[in-house]
Parts: sequence; C-alpha cells; structure tokens
Amino acid sequence: MKKLIALFVLHFLLFNQIVLAQAPTPSKVTVSGYISDASTGERMIGAAVYFKEIEKAVSCNAYGFYSMSVAPGTYTIVFSYVGFVTNEAKYTLTKSQSINIELKPRVIETQEVIVSAQKQERNIQSTEMSKIEVGIDQIKALPALMGEVDVLKAIQLLPGVKSAGEGNSGFYVRGGGPDQNLILLDEAVVYNASHLFGFFSVFNSDAIKNVSLTKGGMPAQYGGRLSSVLDISMKDGNNKEVHGEGGIGYIASRFTLEGPIVKDKASFIVSGRRTFIDLFLREPFVPANSRIAGNSYYFYDLNGKINYTISNKDRLYLSCYLGKDVFNFRSPETGFKVKIPWGNATAAFRWNHLFNEKLFVNNSLIFTNYNFEFGAAQQQFDFKIFSGIRDYSLKSDFNWYPTVLHNVKFGMNYIYHRFTPTNVSARSGDVQFDLGEVKRYYAHDLAVYVNDDWEIDDQWKVSGGLRFSMFEHVGPFTRYIQDPLNTNNIIDSVSYKTGDKVKMYAKVEPRFNVRYQINNRSSIKASFTQNYQYIHLASFGSVSLPTDVWVPSTDKVKPQFSTQYALGYFKNLKKNTFETSVEVYYKTMENLIEYREGVTPDQDVKNNADNNFVFGKGDSYGAEFFIKKNQGKLTGWVGYTLSYTNRQFAEINYGKEFPAKYDRRHDCSIVLNYQKSKKWTFGAVWVYSTGDALTLPSQKYFASTTPPVSVGANGEINLNNNFNVLSLYQARNSFRQKAYHRLDISATYHGKKHKHYEGSWVFSIYNVYSRKNPYFIYFNVDGNSVDGNLSVQAKQVSLFGLIPSVTYNFKF
Amino acid sequence: MKQFLYLIIIAFVFASCEENISLDLPREDPRVVVDGYVETGLPPYVILSRSSSYFDPINPGALNSFAESGAFVTIYDGVKTVQLIELDTVVNGVSLKGFYAALDSVTKLPTMFGEEGRTYQLTIITKDNQQLSSTAKLQPHIALDSTWFKVQENLDSLGLAWANLTDPDSIGNCYRWMAKRITKDDLFLAPLGSAFEDKFINGQSFVFNAFRGQIPNSTKPDDIKEEAGLFKKGDTIIVKFCAVDRGTFEFWRDAETQISNNGSPFAVPSNIKSNITGGLGVFATYSPAYDTIIAQ
Repeated sequence: MKKLIALFVLHFLLFNQIVLAQAPTPSKVTVSGYISDASTGERMIGAAVYFKEIEKAVSCNAYGFYSMSVAPGTYTIVFSYVGFVTNEAKYTLTKSQSINIELKPRVIETQEVIVSAQKQERNIQSTEMSKIEVGIDQIKALPALMGEVDVLKAIQLLPGVKSAGEGNSGFYVRGGGPDQNLILLDEAVVYNASHLFGFFSVFNSDAIKNVSLTKGGMPAQYGGRLSSVLDISMKDGNNKEVHGEGGIGYIASRFTLEGPIVKDKASFIVSGRRTFIDLFLREPFVPANSRIAGNSYYFYDLNGKINYTISNKDRLYLSCYLGKDVFNFRSPETGFKVKIPWGNATAAFRWNHLFNEKLFVNNSLIFTNYNFEFGAAQQQFDFKIFSGIRDYSLKSDFNWYPTVLHNVKFGMNYIYHRFTPTNVSARSGDVQFDLGEVKRYYAHDLAVYVNDDWEIDDQWKVSGGLRFSMFEHVGPFTRYIQDPLNTNNIIDSVSYKTGDKVKMYAKVEPRFNVRYQINNRSSIKASFTQNYQYIHLASFGSVSLPTDVWVPSTDKVKPQFSTQYALGYFKNLKKNTFETSVEVYYKTMENLIEYREGVTPDQDVKNNADNNFVFGKGDSYGAEFFIKKNQGKLTGWVGYTLSYTNRQFAEINYGKEFPAKYDRRHDCSIVLNYQKSKKWTFGAVWVYSTGDALTLPSQKYFASTTPPVSVGANGEINLNNNFNVLSLYQARNSFRQKAYHRLDISATYHGKKHKHYEGSWVFSIYNVYSRKNPYFIYFNVDGNSVDGNLSVQAKQVSLFGLIPSVTYNFKF
Repeated sequence: MKQFLYLIIIAFVFASCEENISLDLPREDPRVVVDGYVETGLPPYVILSRSSSYFDPINPGALNSFAESGAFVTIYDGVKTVQLIELDTVVNGVSLKGFYAALDSVTKLPTMFGEEGRTYQLTIITKDNQQLSSTAKLQPHIALDSTWFKVQENLDSLGLAWANLTDPDSIGNCYRWMAKRITKDDLFLAPLGSAFEDKFINGQSFVFNAFRGQIPNSTKPDDIKEEAGLFKKGDTIIVKFCAVDRGTFEFWRDAETQISNNGSPFAVPSNIKSNITGGLGVFATYSPAYDTIIAQ
C-alpha cells in the first residue's frame, strides 16, 4: 500500500511540474473553449475546430473542450458538427483567448439523419483505428426487438463486434470474451449491462448522448480490459428550458425530464424506464388464489444527472444510475418459491477544471456496485446465493495541448475493489447448513498513464502511450489448500489479516498507433497494443448470465494479457459521402480462465473458486470490411468480418486447441435508413453469422438408474429395465449450429409538430421472414432400450419468430 | 439453478418454438461400459455393454449388439477371488447378453455376498482383450431416524416422502435415496437429486424430502400426469436409503446433472466421472437401510 501512496505522490508531483511549465511562449497563442448545442446547452463530444489557413484541425474531448496553439495572426476558424449549422468566422489572434461556441441544429426540408457525430475526415486523419462512434439518433432509428431501443444491440452491428445471440448479455470483440469489454457510463464501470438475461440493455436511450466503441489500438487512458472499451456518455440536461420526452412501448415505458436549474449555468436530467407486465399478474387482473398469482418479473432503470458551471474554468457533474431486475416464481404443486433480484448502481462525481488554455483536467470520484441474489424456499428449506462486486475509484485525466502538433493525455486511476464471489447459505428448519464463512476478496488497482498524439508532418502522425498498472490482492483472505490427489479434500488453509498483501502484480502496457496519410481521402494506419486485465468473469455456463461471478487476480490467477497488432486502410469516397475501411488484426491472449471440466457450483463452497479454475491461452485473427454512407436520404452501412478464434487449455479437450464458442467464420450486417419525407423514416437491419461452435455428445451409453436386479418368488434373479441414456462428449466445440440470420424493419411516423408537443409512432417488425435461428439444441429420448423402441431425436429450440411491435414516443 | 433460469426464459418467450433437426456427428470407436453392483447380502453382478453412436436407434434385435458378451470378469473381496458367470437373461421378453453374476456355473447358487466394510476389486478382460478394473468399498449402512409422508399444500392426496437423517460426525459420508411403492413398482427407483454427500451437513441432524423416481422415459399414466414425481395417499412406500462410496456418489451426481441439463444453454456439457479404469460407467456399492411409510 505504501507503494501505492508513493505513486499517488509521484503522480501529483508530475502534474505540478507540468502546470509550472505552462508559461506561455510568446511566439504562440492558444485558442481554447467549449462547443455546445445552442438549443440545449449540451456540450458536444468530438465537434471539430478547423483553422483554414494552416489546414489544421482539432476535435473536442469528452467534455466538449478544445485547445489549439498557433502563431499569432488572422485565421478563419470553422466550428462544425454533423447535423448542425457550421460556424465560420475570422479571428485576429494576438494573445491567447477563449472562444466558446454554440452551434444551432440544422433545420432542412427533410431532416437529415446523423450517422456519425464526427468531423467528416476524422476517420482519415486521426491515428485512431478500430474505433467507432455511433450517434444516439442513429441507434434510435434502427428497428429494435419489441420496440426497445438498444445501445448494445446496435454496436453489435459493427464489424468485429459479435452478438452473443438472443438471450445472452455478452458481446464479443475480436475474439475476446464478454468479460474483456470495459463498459463505462459517465466514467463508471457497468458490470452487468443487460436486463432479462440479455434481451435488453440497461442503457435507456433517452438519457444517452453519445456512444463510442474502441475495439483495438486502445489508447493508454483506457485499461483493465483486453478487448474493447464501450464509452457511453449521459446527456447533461438542457440548460436553456425544461423539456420532457417519453414513450409507451410493448414491454416498457419511459419518461425523461430535463431542464435548467440556473439558466445556462446548471441543469438536470432524470430519466426512468420500467416494464409493466407484472402489473397485470396481480389483482384485479389475476385473483390471489390463481395458480399464476405470485409470479412476476420486472426491471427498471433510473438515470439522473446534474451539472453546475461554476465558471469558465470549473464545472461539476454528478451522475447516477440505478437499475434492477426482480423475478418472482412460485409453484403451488411443489411449494417451491423463488425470488431473484439483481442489478447495478453507479454514481460519478466529476470536476472539470481548466488550469489554463492548454491544460484541462477531469477528476472523478466513482462508485459502482453490482449485486445478484437468488433466494429459494420449499417447505422448511431456505436457500440463498449472493454475489457481487463493488468499486470505489478515483481518477484524474489530463488533456494537455502544448503545441499544435501534440495532444498529450496523462493521468491516473485508482480503484478499490470488493469482490463477493458466490456465497451460499441454506437451512432446513432450524438446522443451518455449514457452508463456510462469507467469502470476499479485496484489491487495490492502480494505473498511471501518458499518451501523446504527435503530428510529425502532413503524412505521419503517431500516438504513443505507456500505461503502468499495479494490482494488489489484500486480506482479509483465506487460502484453502486442496489435496493434490483429491481436489475435493481441503487439507489446510492460510489466513491473511486485513490489509496484508496476498499477491501483487505490476505491469507495463505499451500502446502505439501510427497513421500515414496518402492524401486527403485516404490513409493507412497500424497499431500495436498490450493490455493486462486483473479481473475475471467465471462462468459455469456456456453463455454469460447474471449468475457469473467476478474474481480478482490472486496468487493462483495471473492477470489476463493480450497483444494485438492491427493494420488498416481508410478511404473516403464522393466528397466524404462514403467512408470505407479494411482492417486486419491478430491478437493473442494469455492466462484465460475456465472452470475445470465437471466442476459443479457446490465445489466453490468452503473453497476458493480459483482452486477450481484451469488456465489457457487463445488467439484470434481476422479481416473487417466496412462501408458507411453518411449523407443523403439513404444512409447506413455494410460491415463484414472474416475471423478465426481459438482456445487452448492443458486440462480441457485433452490439451488440444479448440474453437471458441463464438468463433464465427463470417459475420455480416447491413444497416439502412431512409428518410422518405418529413413524416416518414424507414429502417432495416439484416444480420448474418456463422453458427456457434457447440459441444455435442458423440456417443450414448447405458447405466441402470438403480440396481436393476430383483429376486423373484422362487429365488430367481430378474434383471429389470431401468436404463438411462447417458452421453459421452469428445472434442470440445467441434460441432456447428446452423447459421444465424435475420431481417428487421421499422417505420417511424412523425406526427404534426405543435408548438410545445410532438409525437411519433414507431412500427417495427423483428425477424421479418421468421427465420428459426438456433437458440439451443437438446435431445429427446423416446421409448426404452429393452422394449427395443428407443430413439434419440435432436431438437432445436428457436426463440423469436416474427414479432411486430408499436411504440409511441413524445416530446414536449 | 441453471435449469431454473432456463425455465424462466422459456416462460417469457411466448414466441419460442422447436423443431426436429438432423445432426451429422462424428463416428468414434465404441467403448466398454460397466454397470456393476455390490449390495449387502446379494451376490455382486455386472452388466457389460458398449457405447454406440449417438443417434443409432435401438430395435429389438439390436440390443444384444451392444451387449458385451464373453468377457472374463472376476471380483476379489479381500479374501477370495470369484469369477462372475454370464447368464442368459430375458428382460421384458427380450433375451439379453452381457449380464454377469457371482453365481456357481453349475448350481447357480451365489459364490459371494456383499458384506459391509469390505473393499471389492473388479477386473474385466473383454473378448478383444481390453482390460478394465475398479475398486469400491461397501460402506456401513446408516439408517434414517424417521420417515413420513406429507400431502403438498393445494394438492388433495399427493405429496412427498420425508425423512430425518442424522449424519455421523465424520466427513465423507455419501448417500443415495430410492423408494418403491408396494404393488405399483417392480424396482426401487431414484428421483433426480437422489445422490448427496455430507460436505455441508456433516454431523448434523436434519429433515429432507424426496420426490418419487420413475423408470427413465416411463409412459405409465402416473408418471406423465399430475401424479408424476409424487406419492399418493394409500401408497405403501418402502424406502431404501443407501450409504454409498464416493465413486458411486460422484457418478450419480454427475449423471443426474447431465440428465437434467440436457442441452440447456446455461450448462457446459461435461462427461460423467467414472470409477472404471479403461472404460465408462460405474462399479457401485450400495449399503441399504429400509423403512416403510404408509401414506395417509
């Protein structure tokens, strides 16, 4: 811990050095400021500032701030953001100055759909590759399952990102597992991003401003995960006037209210969403004595945010999220009752401070919590499982713009984790079963980083960074020691007191991106990144579920480690109407975890979960093709990925390499939006992917359920038919399910705009041609062996056929 | 619990559907399967068969093609070794090979009986010279303190069997529950979840309940309608509560998990832990204690 404190001190010393070094050089002046939406006051992430005479551009950071240092003189500065009226004016710069700009939304005959909120050539000019931003308006225009607009499902339409399929909360980026995605909501980590076992995401689109996904070439300010960063920003709240919006849908309804607290200085937004099917499962709709009474399910999300602009230099934000799923089940026949509540809560307090026109900092104090509980009761039995993860974190992220050629980011991030892996308690009447003490893991997680975006000349630009990360697992902790010959036996244990070091890891993670710009319309980019991940998701199942538990790196579990190489060619066509790119990547992953084959959840009880893990490696490689049309009545994209993903564990599959479950050879999505008129908009999505890899039994065999012999009246021995059909599995994931494909369409009707009110109807059809996509396969055994009529039939279960839905949305 | 989550999803997905599909699974060499028993007071016996390709149907004539006939099977009980003889058996009117028992080849009288506390070593040499072996101990029996029947709330005459068990204060006891209704069942039958151990209940006295077991894929009316899994007022239930050794417990714990998972997307398919070296299946020991419940 002393080392951690020392690092803190070092970090702030370093930062002071930089502040002190800020004496402005007389030969340069700095222009800096904020760009915001004139109608709402929302700061604009990624808005562009372009200096015409010197052909240099800079874009706003996540808080709408920009800074550029140039030689004194007169410049034409162009402020722009897609979908907004460009602001262009001449400025005579003799000294450093602040220019804050408000851009007005563009009002044109047929309202143009904003495909991307970025400057049109940014994809060519930046060093960033493998990063995609999707505007929330675009996401809202896509057809959605049961009309519920879904951020996570939308990003799964991008190349390199694979959906885990229906009924599964995870997504897979370039061959990585679902635990390798860092999902941030206003800087706070969201550990469980979905409701109802993955059918809907927890992000209420009405409260969201921006979504960006980084799937490779991760800059140094991000870390802690191997595969991707999904960065979601909540709206700040309209600081001009009070507005509300909402919607009534098939399964859930939403309402959002936002407005100024102090005009132009402070604003709020509150947003809620809740399902309502449970309201119909109780009186008066269902009598209390009905068989289905007592069964219910609901989820809700609450988002809230306030911000206060103290001065041009300081701004405060407080954002909160609370979401929960609750499931109740009861069976009168067996007296079985179940209650399963689970959910996330996050809170982030942030302070933006401008030291001077070149140095911006955001400090964050963040709390995040995820809990899962499963309570079951039958007669005198009571059974409860609980698990979760809670983080307290502190972050400082600096943006320093020393010259026009450099954009430096540096900072630190400290997290105190408390992991609660699966704990079980059970009793029968007054008898409490002995399931051990509540287990928890505690860890310090610290990272410091520096990253410089350096424009060497018009062709070459590099972004180089280093991230230094440390992770310390500390007590209280009990290490159970297993008998190496019989892993069921615990032969000893070692106890650590509060704060005692159990294990520490310290690692350096280099990040490097380079761009070579061929001309204004095309560039080549390459990246090399190494990442460490200190927390791991342990799953008993083959899909990710809320029951999965997060565990830290320990003396047994080494941090996951990946190295990724990517190369891309980017070209814009027809005056930036089309953006195209081709990227190839190769990624290796080490220290991946899985439960040992045949381990059952009870073996985690009175034991450390990591005693039951096995460790392996993986690799992934592929090519991603992307064409996006940004302008015109018809917009959208086509993405195609060709990829290979393998895993190898010494103790799984006889040590032989096997395809990962989500190894999909082909993955394709087509997304279209058509703005027919002011009144009508149409959307369509078609997805195709190779079927999942699956382990199926290769052989069957018989065993009698109970001793099959009975002794007859005359002492004769009778053998009875009591055979069970059992399965023998051989090669892991050697079978392929059928390909998955689906077409969804939507039509949105925008009603007449009134002065204070506007409404729209969204009609959508999910799975238009009712494709029976595989969800899982099971085997039905009929007859029995002795009667000689035993047969085994494979059955495929599909979830959703054609599902129409209607949602009414309103704004005032 | 995973099956339970699966049920939840299915319950919510009104639009779900299923269809028959055909799968082309790889062909692999069949393996020898042991279904062996040592039970207190009975001669040990073993049923030998071979595994078969997953979708091969089993017709009346085909059953014997899976039977492993002509093997040399011996059991050593710490004192003597006996050879198990292959019997010609008729099961439900079908002749079945591969059934071996510790009987005298001429008199057909038992040559060995299961005795509590003894360790049994099984050795098998098949016709094609494959060697298999296993060792299992017949545990001392542990009787239940009491047993009874209770009607489930909301159900007129149907209910579960209940019992009170006092687990001995030594870790490592494993159990299997089975029961039989007089005149209704030919065999003692075990419900899913019949195998358990004392890992979490060591040395405690507690009450538990049990559903009624059935013959796999039974189509008897009381196994497919509302009586399925339940006992009924008027039943005379004989409970056979068995102390088993660890190998038997682990096999049935895994087998019951596999049977109930059957393709569930929430479970990782996994093989059943076997105590047979060189083959599949289980060499099981059962040390029973009996109770009778008159359901009323």
